[in-house]
Order: sequence, then C-alpha cells, then structure tokens
Amino acid sequence: MRTILYHIFVSLLVSISCLQPLKAQFYQTTSASVRFYSSAPVEDIEAISNEGVSVINSDNGDISFKVKMRSFRFEKALMQEHFNENYVESERFPDASFKGKSMEKIDVSSTAAQKVIFKGTFTVHGVSKQRELPVTIKMSRDGKTMSLSSEFKVKCEDHDIKIPKILWENIAEVIDVFVNAEFKIISQ
Amino acid sequence: MKKILLFLFTIIYGFANAQDVDSIMANISEQKDYKTQATFKSPRLVLLQTNETQKANNLAFWVGHRFGDIGGEFGSSHTLYGLDFATDLYLGFDYGITDKLTVGIGRSKFNESYSALVKYRLLWQEDEGVPFSVTLFGQSSWITREPFSNNEFQDEGDRINHFFQAIMARKFTPGISLMLSPGYLFRPEAQVQDVGDEQNLFVVGIGGRFKILKRVSLITDYTFVNGLSRPDDLQTDYHNPFGVGVEIETGGHVFSLNFQNSRYITANNFIPNTTKSWSDGGVRFGFAISRNFNLGPKERNDY
Repeated sequence: MRTILYHIFVSLLVSISCLQPLKAQFYQTTSASVRFYSSAPVEDIEAISNEGVSVINSDNGDISFKVKMRSFRFEKALMQEHFNENYVESERFPDASFKGKSMEKIDVSSTAAQKVIFKGTFTVHGVSKQRELPVTIKMSRDGKTMSLSSEFKVKCEDHDIKIPKILWENIAEVIDVFVNAEFKIISQ
Repeated sequence: MKKILLFLFTIIYGFANAQDVDSIMANISEQKDYKTQATFKSPRLVLLQTNETQKANNLAFWVGHRFGDIGGEFGSSHTLYGLDFATDLYLGFDYGITDKLTVGIGRSKFNESYSALVKYRLLWQEDEGVPFSVTLFGQSSWITREPFSNNEFQDEGDRINHFFQAIMARKFTPGISLMLSPGYLFRPEAQVQDVGDEQNLFVVGIGGRFKILKRVSLITDYTFVNGLSRPDDLQTDYHNPFGVGVEIETGGHVFSLNFQNSRYITANNFIPNTTKSWSDGGVRFGFAISRNFNLGPKERNDY
C-alpha cells in the first residue's frame, strides 16, 4: 500500500511539473535578419545575414538566438573571406549567439510596441560577455506573429577580435548591429 | 500494476512535452555545409599555382620578381648576393569570370614570353562533405624573343608550349593546407635544350601553407621533374624546382618573400629549364605582390 501511495505521489508531482511547460508559448524563426555596419574613415563595411535562428518562450521570457558567421554576405567577396579567416575565425567559432531572458514580462495579448531588455550571454568569436540588449517587440493582432527589432553595439576588443594597426582607417572598433525578425508561434 | 503504468505514462508524457528554448533551437537549427575558403591565400604559392581562383568579377594584378644567384660563381657581394640581376620578371592580370573560372594573361622577361592561363575549380572542399578541392590549370606560353640562331624557330609553332596541371588541395586545419599537383608539359622539339631530353615532361608538384600568425604564413613547394619521365643521363645538370617563402596578407594585398633555385616564374619556363641548385649557391631571392580589385556588382548571392 505504501509503495502504491508513493507512486501516486510521484506521478502527481511529475504531472504537475509537466503542466507548466505545457502552458508555455513558443515563438520561432529561422530567417532573422542580422546586419552589421562598420563606419571608418576610409570605407564603410556592411554585411547581412538572413539566416538567424531564434526561439522565444513568451511565458518566462527565455530567448536563444544564433547566427552562423559564414552566412554573412559582404559587398566584396574578398572582404567576406577576410572576415571569416582573419577576424572572427569562423572555422573555430562558427556561430554568434545570445542566450538570455527578458527582464520584463512579454504581453502577447497587446499589439502595442513593447520595449523590453534581454539580459544574458552574448558570444562572438568564442568570447562571451554579459549584455543587456534593448529589444522592441510587437505582436500581431491574432497573437501568432511576434516582430522583434534590436539595435546594439559590439566592441571588437571585447571579443578578442584584433584589427591590425595599419587597417584602423578601414575597420571600425565598434560595430553597429541591427536585428530584425518575425517570429511565428509554434502550434502545440 | 496500473499505478506503475500510470507512473511510466506520466513520465514519458512529461518528457515529450518538457520543451524549452534550447530543445526547440536544436530542432530547427539546420547544418549547412559551407565551402572551405582560403585553402591558400593566393592563386600562387612560391613557384606553383594553388587551387585558388579569383572571386567572380575580381581582377588581380600580380607582379613577380626573381633576382640572381645568392652564392656561387654569379653571387656573393660582387652582385650584392644576386640583387643586381633580375633573372625573371612577370606582370600579369587574372580575372574571375565566376567563382570557379579564372582567366589570365601575363608577360615574362625570360624569352620575352607572353602567356595565357585558365583555371577551373572542378571540386570544392566543404566543411563536412567533399573532402578536398581539385582545380584544373592550363597555361600556354609564346616566346617572342629574336631567335638565337637562324634555325632556332623555323615554324611559328616552335615558339609555343603548353602546361596542364590538376591541383588537388586540402585545408587540413585553419593553419595547414597541402596540395598535390600532377602536371604535363607539351613543348615542340625546337625548345628542347638538351638533345637527350624528353620533348614532353610529366611532373608532380607538392606544396603547403603553414600559418604562423593570423596573416603570415610559411609557404613551400617542390616539383618532381627529374626522376619521372625525364631521362637521368642528360648532359645538362637539371634540378628540381624548390621554393620556400613567407606570405604576408594585408587586406587587398598579398606579399610573398621567397627563396628558390629556379630562375623563372611561370611553370612553362621553370619546369623544363631549372639548372640551378640549392647546394651550389644557385638559390635566389624573389618576391611577389598581388593586388585585388573588385569590379563586381554590390550584392552577392552565392558563395
């Protein structure tokens, strides 16, 4: 009798703990646009990827975002090669990523623009930094689409990305990053 | 028993639904097999061609220079270790029609020869899939100097030769790339310097790049000419071309500072005519500079 009671108790516990994630609402994208821009005296360099992958849990505010360094496209093919080979070393560090949590509650029922801060770990070139990234979220009327945009700066030095002295006029030390994504709800 | 089943059921049910951001990320992230880039930094190593081609719509201007013997009879301080001489000088343009197809023209001081080259990437190494790259290389060379004797070039065709090579290369790590390149030289009888020599020569080239700093690499290549199809009882003392160098990359420029026993720059010239040896002071200093120009449209879609 005791063991049966024990089983019932454990089953209940497991069921309750399972109820929580069941309620969770997830939004995902595999085509987030990530654009970065370097403005320096000699030239402006811009690169874009439309292959950002991300998932947001709108209930607890969890976010995970990843983009492959090789997916960035540059105006000049040689620049693209140098970016991968000499700066971000994408063979050793293939992705840039962010993993964190929204500090405010995301209201999926509101269609107003919501400004939230995502706090978490930002990793580029294998070097992780704790960052607070400002993000604007806007829900569609039916609540099935979540638009996200964000603008922040990345300092090359913070991530151990070295710019040779003779090229300081060509490459900025602080890079502007723009993220735009449309997340779709995952049907459960 | 029923309770145990229920227990098991809830556990399985629980796991199946215990989704979090990470598990969904893992499901939707797809692996993409990217083409390996920069197996070599330049289309040329020290003497040999690498598997690299120009990017589509990119034009590269390439200058190569070879000085005189450092030591031996023609070297030493009398010629400032060969720097007084220019045994060969090459000026050339390579243009990428696509990322896979490059055409080029050039002019060498030696024999006042003009050359035209074609490079085509047959196979491109990938991160996971294709294990190595293969590039086909062809170069024709036309000697325009005055004949040394009245009957040297009786026919205009006597001035032309062709070289073909299959360049197999693999980037083993971000810092180590190696290549193996069998090749064949076709030349007319009139260009054979040693009467006992074969008219056409089969060769095998090997080469490598070893990164020592992010933008600085050691480069080396060696070409087996003797000991293959060439007879080994010739009067002329031919040697296998061997070069070592340092390659420095600064944005759109690639500089190469090197030493080699061959006096000439194009394969059509150095493969049949290398008579200097590393052991008797026949080694010389050389350098090469390449400058890249992007002539293409602004937006890129492939690669």
